[in-house]
Amino acid sequence: MGLAYHTELYLFVFLPLVVLVYHFSSQKMRRAVLILAGYLFFWSFSRWMVLYLIAVSGLIYGAGRWMEHLKETGRARAKEFHSKERSAIKKQYKAKEKRVLMAGIIILLGILAYLKYCNFFIQNMNRIAMAAGKDFYLEPQKLLIPIGISFYTLEAIGYMADVYWGRIKAEHNWAKVALFLGFFPQIMEGPISSWKDTADALWECRPVQSQNLVKGIVRIAWGMFKKIVVADRLSVVVTAIFDSYTDYHGVMIIVAAIAYTLQLYMEFSGCMDIVIGSGNLFGVDLPENFRQPFFSGNASEFWRRWHITLGAWLKAYVFYPVSVSGLVKKWNHFARKHFGKYLTKMGIFAMTLFPVWMCNGLWHGAQWNYILYGMYYFVILLAGEAVSPVREKVLDRFHLDCKALYWRVPQILKTWVIIFTGEMFFRANGAAAGFHMFRSIFHGFEFYRLWDGTLLGLGLNAADLMAAGFGILVVAVADILKERKLLNWDKLQEMKFPVRWMLYYALIFAVIVLGAYGTGYQQVDLIYAGF
Amino acid sequence: METLLEILNDIDDTVDWENETALIDDRILDSFGVISLISELEDQFEVEIDASEIVPENFNSADAMWKMIQRLQEN
Repeated sequence: MGLAYHTELYLFVFLPLVVLVYHFSSQKMRRAVLILAGYLFFWSFSRWMVLYLIAVSGLIYGAGRWMEHLKETGRARAKEFHSKERSAIKKQYKAKEKRVLMAGIIILLGILAYLKYCNFFIQNMNRIAMAAGKDFYLEPQKLLIPIGISFYTLEAIGYMADVYWGRIKAEHNWAKVALFLGFFPQIMEGPISSWKDTADALWECRPVQSQNLVKGIVRIAWGMFKKIVVADRLSVVVTAIFDSYTDYHGVMIIVAAIAYTLQLYMEFSGCMDIVIGSGNLFGVDLPENFRQPFFSGNASEFWRRWHITLGAWLKAYVFYPVSVSGLVKKWNHFARKHFGKYLTKMGIFAMTLFPVWMCNGLWHGAQWNYILYGMYYFVILLAGEAVSPVREKVLDRFHLDCKALYWRVPQILKTWVIIFTGEMFFRANGAAAGFHMFRSIFHGFEFYRLWDGTLLGLGLNAADLMAAGFGILVVAVADILKERKLLNWDKLQEMKFPVRWMLYYALIFAVIVLGAYGTGYQQVDLIYAGF
Repeated sequence: METLLEILNDIDDTVDWENETALIDDRILDSFGVISLISELEDQFEVEIDASEIVPENFNSADAMWKMIQRLQEN
């Protein structure tokens, strides 16, 4: 499919060519090279729908300029009046700005919702009609969805909201907005960056430097290692069990849940390595999307370490606006008088977390299991907060140290159970299949399935399982070192020359030797590109 | 400023509110800490804090919060 980041066409043709042309261009031309490369990349997947990306860039550029114009006019007019009238005029212009912002958001979300959720709505209408015995059927529409729409739509909304809030100034150069939305490494799977994160660095178009090239290539190789040594192998096991889930129960469902979680982590974080590495080649540091998520002590910490930029976006543009909305404020005043501090707080939690997790679920796509996935985390986070006074009391009563291993390790293991269960529902072929799989864990556990050869009947031979296991071990060690702050991408570059290059060669060698390709393997599409 | 410190000490008196300068970055104040603090500040100082003000720079220290409150009161 197109120029997906893990394909030979991207890695060995497109990316090197763009770097080469970029290198030999003047700074001004480099900007044009990156914008055109973005549109070419987009074209490879979605053809003429590239016009949509251009239109979105135009829309947010226009909305930004319009809001800026209103800000300036409002300010100038306010100066002509005394304090009371002044604040009325300011409010009047703020309201006008808000209308522009809302119109922009409604257009972008409207198109996104239509393309992504229209058929979901039709299918559910048909189901309801069928259940009610009515003679009613709507034909699902054949819709083409432009690549990466869920990612750059959020960036576009973030830009407009930041201009409205006065956090950033409206950009006067359309091309800078176009580059911000259309930087090709980010189009397909994010990271979802804010204007402040990347716009200036991208626009600067630094010259290609040898240390950035090495940094980028190594990061890309590391991503490929995760993707083709581990994720593509686990994909075989995951597909075998999830697609015939009624044939499995007990420990095998747990194997499937763990295997899928690992596959998703290796794949998505591996893709992010390729993306961030690609950015490095052009001297740009894109925001990180993962920070050793399996060291999380609870679900809320997990979401600060997993798909970080989505969590950060939802926090900035959904959670905080809802938390200072009139409804939450009214509840706060009313409940404090009538229900006490604890219930007030729980009410605020519920009111602010619900939209965040509904959006998280829906963002992943129009399927009931994604909505279920969002609601699953909503309930878990709410329950976590509900019992937090008890937890505090236990810690206090028994003088326990929540940073000590005896407390931290069980917390991490508990979080693993939460993560694996959540990802099982996420991957299941529909919400009903998810529940079926969950129930079947408790029917005939059959622990011996792990060593009686069942695992080898899932499409991978012993050598494949060992290669995947080795890959997981290497990534786990790297994550432990990162977590303990013994290693990071900068420290790696500071290592002694022979050690550093030995590691680089070992990595590239491992990708070549252990990668899952050749007969019997199909290249596995990137999971998050589908969202 | 004293009223502000009183509110902060009410939330948690084990924190050195006067001298901490990375309340958000070090997660001494988490997102729910911030939103409950906002409602206290709005009541006490009769200001309206909207979502645009919720950035680490405004909540990392008591001093930064105080500056934000003064700025909002002037408006």
